[in-house]
Order: sequence, then C-alpha cells, then structure tokens
Amino acid sequence: MTAIDHATTSHAPHVPVHKTKQTDWLGLGITGVLGLVVVVPLIVVAIWAFAEVWRYPSLLPQKFGLRFWNDTLSRPDVWGAMFLSIRLSLTVTMLSALICLPAAYAFARLDFPGRNVLFLSFLASHAFPKFGLLVAIAGIFLNLGLISTFWGVVLIQLVGTLMMMIWIPVAAFQNVDRAMEDAARDAGAGPLRVFWSVSLPQAAPTIFAAVLLSFVGTFYETEGAWLIGAPEIRTMPVLMITFINNQIVVQYGAVLSVLLWVPSFFALMFTRRLVGSASFAKGFGV
Amino acid sequence: MTDMASPDSNVRKDGFAKRHGRGLTGLLLVAAPVILLGWLIIYPIFNAVARTLFVNSDAGASFSLDTYQRFFTDSYSLANLWLTLWVTVVCAALLMAICLPLALYLRFAKSRIAAVVQGLALFPMFVPSVILAYALIRTIGPNGGVDLVLNAIGLPKINSPYLTPWGPVIGLVWDNIPLTTLMLVAGLGGVSDNAVEAARDAGARHVALLRHIILPQIGNAMLVVLSFTVLSIFSAFTLPYVLGPASPEMMGPFMQRTFSQVQDTRMAVTQAVITFVICAGFGAFYVRSIAKNREARQ
Repeated sequence: MTAIDHATTSHAPHVPVHKTKQTDWLGLGITGVLGLVVVVPLIVVAIWAFAEVWRYPSLLPQKFGLRFWNDTLSRPDVWGAMFLSIRLSLTVTMLSALICLPAAYAFARLDFPGRNVLFLSFLASHAFPKFGLLVAIAGIFLNLGLISTFWGVVLIQLVGTLMMMIWIPVAAFQNVDRAMEDAARDAGAGPLRVFWSVSLPQAAPTIFAAVLLSFVGTFYETEGAWLIGAPEIRTMPVLMITFINNQIVVQYGAVLSVLLWVPSFFALMFTRRLVGSASFAKGFGV
Repeated sequence: MTDMASPDSNVRKDGFAKRHGRGLTGLLLVAAPVILLGWLIIYPIFNAVARTLFVNSDAGASFSLDTYQRFFTDSYSLANLWLTLWVTVVCAALLMAICLPLALYLRFAKSRIAAVVQGLALFPMFVPSVILAYALIRTIGPNGGVDLVLNAIGLPKINSPYLTPWGPVIGLVWDNIPLTTLMLVAGLGGVSDNAVEAARDAGARHVALLRHIILPQIGNAMLVVLSFTVLSIFSAFTLPYVLGPASPEMMGPFMQRTFSQVQDTRMAVTQAVITFVICAGFGAFYVRSIAKNREARQ
C-alpha cells in the first residue's frame, strides 16, 4: 500500500499556500455542475423505484410506495438472474484469484526468463477493442459448443479480470517491506512461513481491493454475458437490458437499479483510495 | 506503477542452481494466466484474421477478400462505421474539453473542496453502464426528469437525445470521465509547482502558462487518453445498444446483431477485424507508451 499512499499524498502543496483562507469559488462551481450531471440521474432512478404513480407533468410522484418492490421481487426471473450472477461472479473471482495471485507474486518477486515480455503482454491485452475480441472469441466458442453455457461465460469473464488481478497485486507484492522478510528469515522462518506471516499480510489490503473490484466488475459485466451467454444464461445486467428494451413497467428497471447499486456502493467504499491514486493511472500507461 | 527491474537482492544472493530452480518456479506460477491469455486473446486475433481471409471449400482453403468487399460496398455497413467514427471524434473532443479543466483544477487546487470534486469525478467509475443507461433514459429521455423541471418553470421540453447518436455520446462521455481525468491528473504530476510559479512570477498569463508550460508536459498523457477513448468507443456495446439509434447503429451492436441474429459468424468476425485494424495505431501507441514508461523507471 505504501506506494499508493505516497501517490495520493505526493500532490500535497510544497509551495507556500496563500489561498487556503479564500473561498474556493471555482471548486464550488465545479462541484455544483458535476454534482448536477453525475448525481441527478441516479436520484431520478431512486425516486422512480419508490414511486407507485408518477404521471407526466407532476414534478414528484403522485403516490409513493413499495408496491413495485413486491412486484419485482416476486418475479422468478429476477431471482434466477440474481443467483446466477452471484454464482458466476464468485466462480470467476475465485478462479481468477487462484491463477492470478501466484502469477502476480512471481512477476513481482521472482526472476525468470521472459518475465518482462509476459508482464507487458498482460498490460497490452487492453490495446485491442474489447467487443471485437469478444466476437472473435465467440466465433471460436461456437465451434466448441461453449456458446450459451455457464462455463463459456465463466471463461470470457475470467479473461476480463486477468489484467486487474495481475497488475494491482504485483504492485502490492513489490511494496512489501523486504527488511521485515529478511528479519523473519534470519529468525529461522522458512520461505512459506515468511510468505504467509510477513509478505501476505502486508499485501493483503491491496489484494483485497483487487479481488473486490474483480467481483463487482464481473457482476456488472454485460457484453460477454450477452454475446456468449444468450439465450440460456441471463445474468442480472442482461435481464436489466431486457427490462429497459421492453419497457414493461418503468419501476422494474428502477427497483433493479437500486438493488444492483448495492454491490457497487461497497466497492466504492473499499477501493476509493486505490482507484484515486496516481499509481492506478500508471497502469494505463500514462 | 511497478518497476520490474528493481534489483532483487534475494535472487542475486542465491547461487546458480537455485536461481535456475526459481526461474522454473516463476514460469510455473505464471503458466495458467499466460495460457489463458494465449488461448483467449492472442489466438482469437490470429484466428479471426485467418478465418476471414481464407475460405474453406472442398478444394481446400483459398484466399478471399469477399467479406471485406461486402462490408466496404454495403452502404449500411459503411454508415455504421461512419457513425462510430463520428461518435469517437465527438466523444474525444468533449472528454478533453471537460476533463482537462477538471484535471488542471485537481492538480493545482489546494482547498478541501478539491477532495469533493475528485470524489464526484471518480464516481461514474462505480456506476455500471446498464444502470447509467437506464438513469439517462429516465432523466433526459422523453418526459424525463429534465423535461419535468423545464415544464414546471414554463420552458419548452428538450429535444431528447435518446435513440439519436447523441444518446451514446452523452453516456460514453459520462462513463469515461473518471479514467480520462485520472490519466490527465497523473500526466500533470510531471509539471512541477516551481515551474508554474516561476512562469507566473515572470508575468505569464493563464493561456501562455497552459500553452508553454503545461501542454508540452502532458502531450503523452493526452495521446494515451485519446487512444483509450478510441479503443473504448469502438468496443462499446451496452450504451450504444440501449441509448443509440437502431439504424444506423454503432459497430458494437452491429457486430452483436450480425453474430446472434443474422448468425453470419464470418461477417461478424470480419467486422471485428475491421475494428482491430482501425484501432491498431492507437493500440500500438498505447503499448509503446506503457513500455516506454516502464523503461523510464528502470
């Protein structure tokens, strides 16, 4: 975490500050405009979720209530999609952690032939337009009979998590305090013991953030699930698109949005520090 | 973010045999994701090119450009391509216009409000595109939130961008604000406060400061941002599909429809290869930029 903390604080002013006493009108203005653009659409959705009757010219719903929560939550397709999405995201995140974390450790701490090229190729995998790549993969999956299957979607979503689950943990493992590891080794601890008791606990918070981001990212992943999963595999975002397109009842979409919002709220809470740091942007080659 | 070349004292201390063993361990540890990368990213790209250039017939495989010819002579396909290019250019311009001032503010602001601005600018990153699409329909769609407010204060309704090319533009800009701002702020990290203060003391105005001190420093970051925007808009599916017009459609929905509904896999893959080719220059620049960055750290 140290590099990340450094990165967030490194912009702290070194120059004599002569503006702090003044009101930051520019900042307030930007906050106002951004708040309007960013937050208002989501507030409108939240109001819709609790509206029972909302006809056009009225500024607020004529009748508030929870009727559509009951209606939405009593639909079997909603529960089916919810459980499927959770099952998919858990499977993908666990598989991803299982294969990526050891690889991240190796990239960060071991020396082996081709290390730089292989690591770069993970970062470079973002240099292709993702949807075109999905179509190319779908063409291959079609021959393998993986279209419209659970494991087909798992594979496609697993690829989507690779980059994040490698480069964030690599940074975490590189920032582990070497002196502490050496001290543990001098005290007679074996390599596994050092890894388990010294290295891992230090890297854990960042790794946890990466795992959480992968889980949430997989939960919301729409393109792969739509292209590879259709028509059998209907995840939550896919169901949501069907609701939007068919426009059966406006509130269904609103209730689902508010429900779907919960996981991303947790992601926001736990990973803001990581995402807000300059080192995060560095991963994109700035 | 990472410096792979940091001399690893542990590796150095170890003898030759052990180092050899470590090399093998390292390769084994990275094997699974590397295989996945090879099978599901690198192989599909070559497979896509080969599949569209060679036709299998009884006489064996033969070279053919027929699907490409069909794409470039079909006015509907071309209209879709032009629409995607248009959306890309408009989005890139809007993102620069919005995010550069935002990044400049975040880089140089010293008040506590800057933290709030940063939080708001990063916020869209945590809103999945499906929810965003729905929220935008409810807000700027016909009889949406904006119309309600305009009507209440006695103004005419807006010309709703929903189901026009401006729908995806608004959605994609909204969606891309956080990463664009982050990258530009990171780029601005290279501009030192001292240089700015010195120029200011020498009497440089805001515009001159921006043109001569700041812009030359963040040229690379701006190009990376541009590459990223092009790549992400050519890959966009959800927002164009939900918010965009049905005809012409953007490349994402077009490929999806060709694959799933028309069930013309070869044509869909041809469209994919065309997006690869258009994005290749930007992708190459992006990779070069990462590589250069990492070299600089070594």
